Amino acid sequence: MTTFANALASAAVVVTVAAVVVLWRRRLRSILVALSIQGVALAALATLLGAHEHDGGLLAVALLVLLVKALLIPGLLARVIAATPGARETDPLVNVPASLVIAGLLTLVAFVAARPIVALVGGPTGRLVPLGLATVLIGFFVMVARRRALSQIAGLLLVDNGIALVAFLVTSGVPVIVELGSSLDVLFGVVVLRLLLARLTAAGVRDLDQLRSLHD
Amino acid sequence: MIALALLVVLGGLATLAGLAPRPYRVQLVASLLVLVEILAAALSVHVLASDHALLGHESGLLPFSGVRVDLSPLGALFTLSTAVVALAATIHWLGYRRHAMSSASASSAFALFVTTLLLVPAAGDIVTFLVLWEVMALTSLVLVAHDHAQRDEARQAAWWYGAMTQGGAALITLGLVVLGAHAKNPGFSAIAASAHHLPGAARGAIFLALVAGFAAKAGLVPAHVWLPRAHAEAPAPASALLSGAMVNLGIYGIVLTRTLLGVGPAWWWLVAGFFGVISALYGSLYAATSTDLKRLLAYSTSDNMGLVVIGLSASGLFSAAHHPIASSLALVATLFLLTAHALYKSTLFLGAGSVQYATHERNLDQLGGLARTMPVTTVTVVIGGLAVAALPPLNGFSAEWLLVQSLVHGLTGADPVTTVATAIFVAALALTGGLTIVAFVKAIGVGFFGRARSEPAQHAREVPVSMRLAPAITAGACVIFGVAPGLALRAVERASAVVTANRSGLGASISGFHLGALRGAVDPLALALGAVVATVLVAGLRRGLGLKGGAKVRRFEPWGSGRIVTSARMQYTATSFAEPLQRVFDDVLAPQHDLDVSHAIESRYYVERVAYASANDDVVERRLYRPVLALATWWGMRARGIANGSVHRYLAYGFVVLVIAVVVVS
Repeated sequence: MTTFANALASAAVVVTVAAVVVLWRRRLRSILVALSIQGVALAALATLLGAHEHDGGLLAVALLVLLVKALLIPGLLARVIAATPGARETDPLVNVPASLVIAGLLTLVAFVAARPIVALVGGPTGRLVPLGLATVLIGFFVMVARRRALSQIAGLLLVDNGIALVAFLVTSGVPVIVELGSSLDVLFGVVVLRLLLARLTAAGVRDLDQLRSLHD
Repeated sequence: MIALALLVVLGGLATLAGLAPRPYRVQLVASLLVLVEILAAALSVHVLASDHALLGHESGLLPFSGVRVDLSPLGALFTLSTAVVALAATIHWLGYRRHAMSSASASSAFALFVTTLLLVPAAGDIVTFLVLWEVMALTSLVLVAHDHAQRDEARQAAWWYGAMTQGGAALITLGLVVLGAHAKNPGFSAIAASAHHLPGAARGAIFLALVAGFAAKAGLVPAHVWLPRAHAEAPAPASALLSGAMVNLGIYGIVLTRTLLGVGPAWWWLVAGFFGVISALYGSLYAATSTDLKRLLAYSTSDNMGLVVIGLSASGLFSAAHHPIASSLALVATLFLLTAHALYKSTLFLGAGSVQYATHERNLDQLGGLARTMPVTTVTVVIGGLAVAALPPLNGFSAEWLLVQSLVHGLTGADPVTTVATAIFVAALALTGGLTIVAFVKAIGVGFFGRARSEPAQHAREVPVSMRLAPAITAGACVIFGVAPGLALRAVERASAVVTANRSGLGASISGFHLGALRGAVDPLALALGAVVATVLVAGLRRGLGLKGGAKVRRFEPWGSGRIVTSARMQYTATSFAEPLQRVFDDVLAPQHDLDVSHAIESRYYVERVAYASANDDVVERRLYRPVLALATWWGMRARGIANGSVHRYLAYGFVVLVIAVVVVS
């Protein structure tokens, strides 16, 4: 294993572990920190790939990822929970130990399911694809299992980061224009959700299941 | 081509003119539409006269394939009959607008509807055809839903019509796309050239899909359920177009299917003929028992389309049995019947619209006595009614005579299956003819003669001149083409030669026609004149021989039950007139009776009140559609159980599906 492969693997593992941390920690602030770290790890991964392929565009992508995913989005969300610094994910639908077991199972599923892609891509990047898929699945599970609206947004971002990880690994880096498009999409989505979240908080809705009363 | 482009531009202008301010809106749209209709008529007469198709290809207009124009004599015949019907409907609209259909949306939809109706037969490729077809369906839907704000029935009609027409369009699209996939380009001529490369089973499936889709538009049983609702609820000019023009295009679609796929095996046409027979019998039976004037006319449309499909199927069967002359004769008869139907049925619908305008009533049991107050309308409706009942010297007679002749001549020397099928066709034609006469004797006798049965009918006033003129145009055409069928037959024969590629050998003088190679001739004018002369002679002889019997001659109102009617309630009603028939066909119609007798509290021997209700709703709808709809509703209610409003549960569904998909894919 070369240094490059080791560094690449470390960054990818950090991304997945950050997803597990989101599932594990109940304090909303910790969740945001985990998201931020995940963004940094993704940016690092893109930098590594860019340096290895001598691709200036990929370095620009890395910068973009760092700005949007590590700083801007967590920053935006942090301002929402600034009012309630100690806010916690109380009473999740699936408790934390069970969630962690399920995350483990999902990772296994991801490794099994990604075999064809691993075989197709090959090399040090291909081996890491299952981690991206696992991040996607865990992100989705966060959305299902957590009640707070902020956790739901975090789940969505995990899904997006997982997809970005897979994209980086499979295509050896995406063109700037593609990454720009998807990042701005996510940013836009987060801005809308943040507004919605502010409204929900103002209306006294803490738990998304309270919205069930809107059902006809 | 320039004329066609001009037609499209004028049609577009008319559609835009629907947005003009109210005082001038209808006049403006109608005058533009009259131009469109005259232009379309001239163009199709030109095509029919020159016997050459109008071809063109404009590649930039629509994506993928551009716009192909292919107005053959066959299409021109449809465009011509549509143009005449649309002209009458547009003129009628000028008066009818005071009653309804003067809004901007209705005006625009009407203009666009007329334009697309005229253009559909000129479409020369799949994409053009489907685009025009859909625009036609959607604009007619707007017209059917015209009264949606006031009447729940109109909303229901729009739902039924929308569902049926979209279902039909889906089948048509499927069939045409599969058919066109193997052709060099989506033009109809290229498809027709390449269709024989398809395997037989595939062609059969395509045939069934296309015919089912087009049959939904033509209102064949069991896809007819939208027809009585939509035709009854649409404003009169729109229902005249629905029944006199749009339904025809469903038949055009079936003829088109034959030109695209070839004649094919006999079983195709046995299937089509089966549904034709069912439609003819079912439609005429319900027409005979309906009491709503417009529903009656709508069921009669279903019946006539059944006859037309019988003719098409006979033509196909004869062609499959290598009997080309009988085949083309049957097709000529069918197309002649189709144009005749367009004329007389639009006369009747416009007349019914005038009645509705004058009395705000469609129920025959509330009408009566209109012959005195609305003489012109009555005359036109009587002409239409005689034509639909196939009496000489009107065009309905010539058409049905030809059809019967072609069927009878097809019987000789055919294989057993064709012989049996043809015999059934003839029997169906005969029974249908009888039932149709009952239906229209009832409609005209109860609706227009006798005494008024309600206040509005008593105070009805004759409608404005445009509304008298419009049905008079189509009724006049019924008379002209009835007295002198030879005028139309040559055009019809050119149209049918597009499909059968050989002539029927039909000879026509101005006043009559003979069957050429097959023996048979008729002269409807002479027939009618003979009947008149015979009547006059008999009456004169009686008078001359003093056979009056010496009794004093007393005159009463026709349909006044032969006595001085003191109360309108003593007369026949539409319900009572049809009652014996309803009894005969009790098993088929399965009418629902509800008798509710309540007794006085003191004694059971005193009846306080008797409530009787009978409903004669559509049995196909009750037995076939209602259970399916009930099942769909039940399924939908079950589905509500899994959607309880929890965001997490919805997300969980997505998550589970994702995980399953990931596992399955690996």
